[in-house]
Amino acid sequence: MKVSKKIVLLGYFGVGKSSLIRRFVENTFSEDYKVSIGVHIFKKNITIPEKGTDVSLVIWDLEGNDDITNTRLSYLLGTHAFIYVYDVTRPATYKNLENEINFLKEKQKNTPITVVGNKEDLVTKAYLKQNSNDFGSLTDFYVSAKTGDKVNFLFSNLAEALIK
Amino acid sequence: MLEEYKKKYTKAVVQYSILDFNGKVIESDNALFLDFKNNYIGDIHPFFDSLNSLLIAEENEITIPCIHLNIADKVITADIILKTFGDGKNPLLIIHDLTTHYINYQATAQVRNESVINSQILELKNTYLKEKEAFKNIFIANFSHELRNPLTGILTFTDILRKTSLERQQKDYIQIINSSSLYLKKMIDDILDISKIESGKLELSIEPFNLLELLNEIKSNYKIKAEQKVLEFNYNFDDNLPEIIGGDAKRLRQVLTNLLDNAVKFTNNGSINFNVSLNQLRAQKASIHFEIIDTGIGIKEEDIKAVFTRFTQVSGNDEYKGTGLGLAIVKHLVEVTNNKVNVSSEFGKGSTFSTSINFLAKKSLAINVPRKKTIAPFDTSKKYNILLVENSEITQLSVLKILASQGHFFLDIATKKDDVLNTISNFENEVDLVLMDIKLEEHTGEEIAKQIRKLPDLHQRKVPIVAITAKVFKDDLKSYKKAGINDVLKKPFNESQLLEIIYNNLK
Repeated sequence: MKVSKKIVLLGYFGVGKSSLIRRFVENTFSEDYKVSIGVHIFKKNITIPEKGTDVSLVIWDLEGNDDITNTRLSYLLGTHAFIYVYDVTRPATYKNLENEINFLKEKQKNTPITVVGNKEDLVTKAYLKQNSNDFGSLTDFYVSAKTGDKVNFLFSNLAEALIK
Repeated sequence: MLEEYKKKYTKAVVQYSILDFNGKVIESDNALFLDFKNNYIGDIHPFFDSLNSLLIAEENEITIPCIHLNIADKVITADIILKTFGDGKNPLLIIHDLTTHYINYQATAQVRNESVINSQILELKNTYLKEKEAFKNIFIANFSHELRNPLTGILTFTDILRKTSLERQQKDYIQIINSSSLYLKKMIDDILDISKIESGKLELSIEPFNLLELLNEIKSNYKIKAEQKVLEFNYNFDDNLPEIIGGDAKRLRQVLTNLLDNAVKFTNNGSINFNVSLNQLRAQKASIHFEIIDTGIGIKEEDIKAVFTRFTQVSGNDEYKGTGLGLAIVKHLVEVTNNKVNVSSEFGKGSTFSTSINFLAKKSLAINVPRKKTIAPFDTSKKYNILLVENSEITQLSVLKILASQGHFFLDIATKKDDVLNTISNFENEVDLVLMDIKLEEHTGEEIAKQIRKLPDLHQRKVPIVAITAKVFKDDLKSYKKAGINDVLKKPFNESQLLEIIYNNLK
């Protein structure tokens, strides 16, 4: 059985959304920052062995902005899951985390949202603990597109949850 | 002809395709991409997967802008329009190639985002630096505070010991302990000053003072210091110098004594010249030139800039001890007045340090020059009750010894707020003055002072309170005043400083 799921990545610009997708789809990483505009769409098939299911993940890499309410709603149509990405090193990218998540919940009530803090390779565990008041309670896990840490887990975990 | 050109040179930017309700392309004009026909749109590009659920027989139009499509090696950025109809007609898919437009948009967004990110990173770095700096300054302030308590003990007991019957050799040893302690005190003061300067907390006061008195006092002190090293000490004070000027006398003294200390320290033969002249005197301003010339070891040309860097000693010789803070402080203090220190030197022959500083001229000074503080007359027949609120045993013992030596003080010691309030509230034994440490264990001195000022009895709540503390930053002083503290004695203090402040505050 093969199913297709649309996953949309959102968040402030420069947080590493495209890098996370590139790490997952192509297993590559570049330090160069190229601004994404509009939408880039990628596809990757993964198998969930326990379910005997192939899942085709259609991943939408949305242009980052500093206010989620500016996101074009047409991009969100038919989304099965959101991944909200912020940069653990830049407070501007998580200072409105709660409002941004609430906006998504309001727009698409039943769509699951996974919140990840990217660039965890640049900070220490103590830093993450110290700043947990700002983002800790909302974050599902910390990832690193650069090292690949938890990137596959992020997508495969999501795919598994979506076919339950 | 025109039609022919149009046909030849027009570049197609829009592709129209008609779909069935399952997403299969029934018809396509192939304007942008070939081979759409008979394929399912979801198989052509994953983006089109998302359109399948929108293929309904209802009147609707949806535009999805700026989609990057990579189909059969052709890459474009397009707006996608899907039109559906209510009259049973098949859906229409329009792909509008806007690649050129979006390339320009991307370039603009790249510049903007990079600049925002860079400024955020810079702001963050600044915040970290400020936090680091604040931590350093708090550390210095707390550490120097901890040093001051034992230093007060050493200085006080050196004074007390000096007055006992001693042999000559013992007197010499006491002198060494005293001068070492004073040197240590100066280093702590210097470190605190640098910390204040770097945290931007140093503000100069503008008060009228007697310039000639100040210069003569400095001259006398350094004449002795120079003569102790068998150096010639010359001075030349311009006859036209105004007697009274407005400025920060304490900081001017600090600048001049640091420069003179330096001259004496680095000169082993020859002379030191201390010259002060008037540049100009106007109605509002007096510009005064200070110059200190020595025949000391001099500075190599390549080292001249470094002499003003903190913790730097360019002599490279252990013989000349010091923290290397003196000239850094001089430079900062002079710069706060928007002036600069000039230095010229010849290695092995000597150095000249000079600066011109602007002061307020007497005419623009509204207030009179305060007279030198003198100890107020007091009734020696009366015994005064002093309450010391202090948890450092060294300071307790120091104050006790000093007051006991005077013979007209009773001293009570308390360390806790309740004990302090009870002692002051005792009508049978009225407290005449409170000496209050600020850094106590359970409450701060300010908190206790506020409680004292709320006591029901007028006489008791008006008792003079003198803070004894090492925390004497401007904000601290404001806070003490707000708490009802009348005066502040800076730690470390000596016998005469303690007695002077007590006498001045006794009613």
